[in-house]
Amino acid sequence: MAKTEMTKRDKEVSDKLQNVGTEILKQVNKGEGPTYQLPVRTLNNVFFDQKSKTIKLGDKMSQRQFLNVAHSRKFMQTILVAAEIRKVIDEQATVSIRDLYYALKHTIAGTDENTFEEQGESDPVIEDIEASLDLLREELHLAASAKGIIAGDLKIKDGKDMIDLTKMGSGGWSVPSNVEPDKLEIKDLDAEYVLFIEKEAVWRRFNEDQYWKKEKCIILTGKGQPGRGERRLAQRLSKEHKLPIYVLTDADPWGMYIYSVIKQGSISLSYSEEKLATPDAKFLGLTTMDVEKFKIPKEVTIKLNAEDTGRLKEMSAYEWFKNKEWQKEFQNMKDKNYKLELEALSRKGIRFITETYVPEKIKNKDFLP
Amino acid sequence: MSNGKTVEALADKAQIGMTADDLAKEFKEHSVAEFFKKNRQMLGLTGKIKTLTVIVHEYVSNALDACEEAKILPEIEVKLSEIGDEYYEMYVRDNGPGLNKETVGKALGQLLAGTKFHRLIQQRGQQGIGAAGCTMFSQITTGKPIQVISGTGKGKAFKCDLTIDPKINEPKIMNLEYIDKPFQGVAIKAKFKEVKYQKSDQSPLEYLRRTAIANPHAKISFTEPDGTTTVFDRSNKEIPKRPVPIAPHPKGVTIDELVTMAKYTKSRKVSSFLKEELDRMGDKSIEEIAKAVDFDLNTDPKKLNWEQCEEIVKQFKKMTFIAPRLDSLIPIGEDRIKKSIKSIVEPEFLEVVERKPSVYKGGFPFCVEVGIGYGGNAGRAAGVDEEGRNVWKSEVMRFANRTPLLFDTGGCALNQAVQSIDWKRYGVRDFENSPLTIFIHLLSVHIPYTGAGKQAVSPEEEIMEEIRLALMEAGRKIYRFIGFQRRMAEKEAKKKMYYKYATELAIAVAEMTGKDKADIEKKLHDIVLKHLKIEEAKEKAEEKKWDTISEDKIEKDFEKTKEKEKKKALKGKKKSDED
Repeated sequence: MAKTEMTKRDKEVSDKLQNVGTEILKQVNKGEGPTYQLPVRTLNNVFFDQKSKTIKLGDKMSQRQFLNVAHSRKFMQTILVAAEIRKVIDEQATVSIRDLYYALKHTIAGTDENTFEEQGESDPVIEDIEASLDLLREELHLAASAKGIIAGDLKIKDGKDMIDLTKMGSGGWSVPSNVEPDKLEIKDLDAEYVLFIEKEAVWRRFNEDQYWKKEKCIILTGKGQPGRGERRLAQRLSKEHKLPIYVLTDADPWGMYIYSVIKQGSISLSYSEEKLATPDAKFLGLTTMDVEKFKIPKEVTIKLNAEDTGRLKEMSAYEWFKNKEWQKEFQNMKDKNYKLELEALSRKGIRFITETYVPEKIKNKDFLP
Repeated sequence: MSNGKTVEALADKAQIGMTADDLAKEFKEHSVAEFFKKNRQMLGLTGKIKTLTVIVHEYVSNALDACEEAKILPEIEVKLSEIGDEYYEMYVRDNGPGLNKETVGKALGQLLAGTKFHRLIQQRGQQGIGAAGCTMFSQITTGKPIQVISGTGKGKAFKCDLTIDPKINEPKIMNLEYIDKPFQGVAIKAKFKEVKYQKSDQSPLEYLRRTAIANPHAKISFTEPDGTTTVFDRSNKEIPKRPVPIAPHPKGVTIDELVTMAKYTKSRKVSSFLKEELDRMGDKSIEEIAKAVDFDLNTDPKKLNWEQCEEIVKQFKKMTFIAPRLDSLIPIGEDRIKKSIKSIVEPEFLEVVERKPSVYKGGFPFCVEVGIGYGGNAGRAAGVDEEGRNVWKSEVMRFANRTPLLFDTGGCALNQAVQSIDWKRYGVRDFENSPLTIFIHLLSVHIPYTGAGKQAVSPEEEIMEEIRLALMEAGRKIYRFIGFQRRMAEKEAKKKMYYKYATELAIAVAEMTGKDKADIEKKLHDIVLKHLKIEEAKEKAEEKKWDTISEDKIEKDFEKTKEKEKKKALKGKKKSDED
């Protein structure tokens, strides 16, 4: 494939990556054990930024050292990833993080050890490089495998292709991992809000019932914990098009956590949450309070397990959940000692969720902040 | 007719019914043999494997004693052949002063002859019933006499067959012949049934190996039934000084001993009897005793009765005496033990500690010698693990007065002392599975055995403490060695790891910078080596701290951790109780 001309930004990114190698060479030439500085990406180095209303990374730094038994392998991996990404950019390709993993995986000469044993080793290293060089994954020409789906009354210009999201049939349109404005333009938008649904199966119910057409909205799912593409797209719809984002998850700690990530961001990606989080998102449901409000029979609830109780306790201490509405919901879940899935609403009829529950919640503005 | 058959006949008779007269007659005739058979257990001849080891002990310790007394460097040959099912012939030959026609009978054909009861001397001692007991055992299991050749090295040697007449406990010498060839020492050929040779930690081979370790002046060779011959050469040419018997210390004497001593004394008065035959007994002590007892000390000691002796011994307990003399103990010696363990065990590292003599129960002098061998061939090889690495088990060698103790390990104070040490503190991470040989030699004029089998020492507080201190002292030195060894291994592993990643790192950096890969890799290697050197120096400095820590501190720390563990265990128990 013929190489296209590198953009200015690509050149900058490539230079930044090359600099990683140059710095190490400098240290080696001085006879020093090479080190690599990177921000700490753990709970004790993130904070909730009141201004942007997102999780942000603190300024604690750590040093990854080649001459440290505990770091050495990861140090080697970090440099290998940096070199490989630079190669990808210079070749003007975009690869998936899984491609990158396989491109780098090989047996170290004279040993029976691989440079990477599983993708779980290379993924966090990629995040380390993003965080330490202050670069976005998209700028690194890396893509996560597309996971989310979307449908609604809008058109999207993806490169040369114009896609009409009203004509996506039962499957919906698959959200790519890079949805930056230079790649993806949103056009002819005719919707009043976005319904961000946790579960694919529930999304399919809404699509089949042509909910987006009837209610003039966009339906989006990340199939569980949403990826960067879906989250960035929701943020763009919120920021650029001022659409309210309503999140619909199971009434359990995991669902609440997904909402938390959509709204404020995650700890591991805290360095780029300003680019990903949607602080204006609102939680539509499901809540345990809805059980009584909508007279949902108790037998479809599930008893909390030890893990749930633990997560619940942890989350009630998150700064962004410290408001009386959420605390009330946490307390209620704890007192009632149950959780329930979105599908539990089918007990009241399979279209109860699309015809009664969601429209009523939206009509009454019955959200959690 | 053999005795074995007589016994069978006796058993047959028992079935058809015997008269009281028959019984009395048979009992008298066979009393010694019968006593022997019925009390095998008490005599230490239990278990087919153990019996064989005990027999070897009886012959070999006799040979060593004889050689030492005659100031001859011992050379002992033991050969065992299998001649049937659980049927063996043992040949033992020494180069000692030899026996003559008179002494051969007493030594090999009379039970309980020349026993060394009531002698306070550091001696090897019998474990069973002596060499004559072996003759008896051979006789009752095979019905055959033992064969003996003996000579003094000068003049004519003789050979004979020998049995014991069980009726009168007297030796019966048959087929006596003179030989013209010069011969020095004693050679015995004896057959035994109901025994079994098996390679194990308690086999004659292991017994002789350990005997050789504790007797570095002896050369011992052993031929197993399969023909394999193992020679334990001497590592030292000095014949150890003979220990001297000492008079019993008042704190260590028992009523029974005092009664016996009084019977045989040459003294005319009780006062002089006590003064002459007991250690550390001065005029002042005699005066004190005279006041305390209600009989006259001027009477004839031969007339002392049990009650009177009891009174005296009770009084001893209330009095203070100078500690017993300690020069009666002849240790093997630090250097000799070192040489010996080096040549027989072949450890990579060895530390030997000899403690000063001490006293237990107020009256018995004793001394402890301890050696710890680590690495090399120390410990017992236990095959290989899943990854093909050699696996070792530690071994504890116990000795009392130069005699190996192979049985009753669990009940022995020597072993308990080893187990009571927190070996992790000395760098031994897994005591049971380490290339470790621990040598403990207890010498005393009176070894406090737990039973008649003489295989385990009872845990006298003073003895336990001395062994523990010796082990800890040696352990401290071992720690440094193990630490060094471990450091070297860890250093090597680290180097390998860094080099491995350096290769990958060099490729990536070369790719990014366009510089030479080999040059970057070489520089990285240099950096790694420099780093490891600095690390090593730091660790060495850390280790030096150990030199300044006293035994006392180690002990205190140990007691503290023990206390903590106890509390923890208690807490845990409480908690589980609550649960």
